[in-house]
Amino acid sequence: MRVSGMQAPDHRDDAALIARLRAGDQNAMADLYDRYSGVVYGVALRVLANTTAAEDVVQEIFLQLWRNPQAFDANRGRLAPWLAVIARNRAIDHLRRRPAEEDIDELPISTGIDLEGEAAQKLAVDKVRGALAQLPQEQRTTLEMAFFEGMTHTEIAGKTGEPLGTVKTRIRTGLLALRKVFA
Amino acid sequence: MNGHPQYAEALALYAMGALDNPQERAELEAHLGTCGECRRELEALRADTALLALSVVGPKPPDRVRQQLMKAIAAEPRMDRRAQKPYVVGRMRPRWFTFAPIAVMLLLAVFSMLLWREVRTYRFLLRQTQAQLEQLQADREREQKALAEAKAINDLLHAPDAWHVDLVAQKTRPQPQIKTIYSKQKGTLLLTATNLAQLPENKIYELWLLPADGSAPMPAGWFKADDKGNGMMFHWMTSAGISAKGFAVTIEPANGSETPTPPIMFAPASAG
Repeated sequence: MRVSGMQAPDHRDDAALIARLRAGDQNAMADLYDRYSGVVYGVALRVLANTTAAEDVVQEIFLQLWRNPQAFDANRGRLAPWLAVIARNRAIDHLRRRPAEEDIDELPISTGIDLEGEAAQKLAVDKVRGALAQLPQEQRTTLEMAFFEGMTHTEIAGKTGEPLGTVKTRIRTGLLALRKVFA
Repeated sequence: MNGHPQYAEALALYAMGALDNPQERAELEAHLGTCGECRRELEALRADTALLALSVVGPKPPDRVRQQLMKAIAAEPRMDRRAQKPYVVGRMRPRWFTFAPIAVMLLLAVFSMLLWREVRTYRFLLRQTQAQLEQLQADREREQKALAEAKAINDLLHAPDAWHVDLVAQKTRPQPQIKTIYSKQKGTLLLTATNLAQLPENKIYELWLLPADGSAPMPAGWFKADDKGNGMMFHWMTSAGISAKGFAVTIEPANGSETPTPPIMFAPASAG
């Protein structure tokens, strides 16, 4: 297992890493990959349930980030949540067999959660899993259908037989419950 | 999110890409364009979905993925991307999309010019056609008027109650009289007769055209008088353009003759 991100504390700041990336530093890309490839791969694998397809998503996203590091704005968020959402969206695209995007998504995400470094990541993951476990089963299932299976609220209502309003409410309150854990 | 609770649930769905009602989506996007508070809430909701994503973090990709990536990066020259990108609410649009409006505008301009030229040509043709149509309508009206007059004349001549009155000097007996109207150019001939004597069944009156060049008289139609002594005939000559110096009428067998049978019963007044 590579832990270069942990070994170089002066590089642990996302903004500095991105600045090096923008300067064309290939080592910065290696550091970034070592730090966050687990996030991208984990999410893609959960969505696609196929290691080869998930590896393709990892390649695609990191290569596009190398080509266009400006897509991530360090002032507007942190790399880990940004990559997690990008990975999910890209994996859903693969799942739906949509045409491949030419460029990486530009998604402003605001969170103050510290995910830089494996220890911080592990802590956060444990907290999220704990929070999810506390949610009622129906609510957790609804959230997972929307996020990991890319289903719309109408599709979820159709599949579960729940009213549309219930689906909407479950998604919002579920997300807010997760937020509360880190508040 | 205290400011606009009506968008709260839609915003959460939107953050997940799960809002599939187009109307609701359009309404929300319009609102996001103007509401900073809801935009910030959207960013926070995306962060919440990121937490959901973190719940599955764990496995690492195989080493070959890293090797392939580093190889690809080393082989690929870095592209310069200094341009600052504007803030976007949703997913980034493809780059070609930026140039699409300009291309569309240029196409529209070219198309408009072509269209304008087409319109100008068609307007000219339309004016020409309108003039032709007006001319045709005027001609048609004239012809209709002429036809109506001709029909009226024809109707009058054939009317059962048509009263033919010849005015002559007092104390003069009504005289048999034949009038002819001939058009050399059209080759047509109209004849009216009054006060003619009735003929036996097997006889008719035949009109002869006397050519100006002195050649043999030409048959110019035949007719009978009714019980009041009136007769009328319209005749097409075999060809137009025959110059006539006069007309004559003889009495011929029922089927007409090719040459006049003497005596000449009627001759032009001037010749008489």
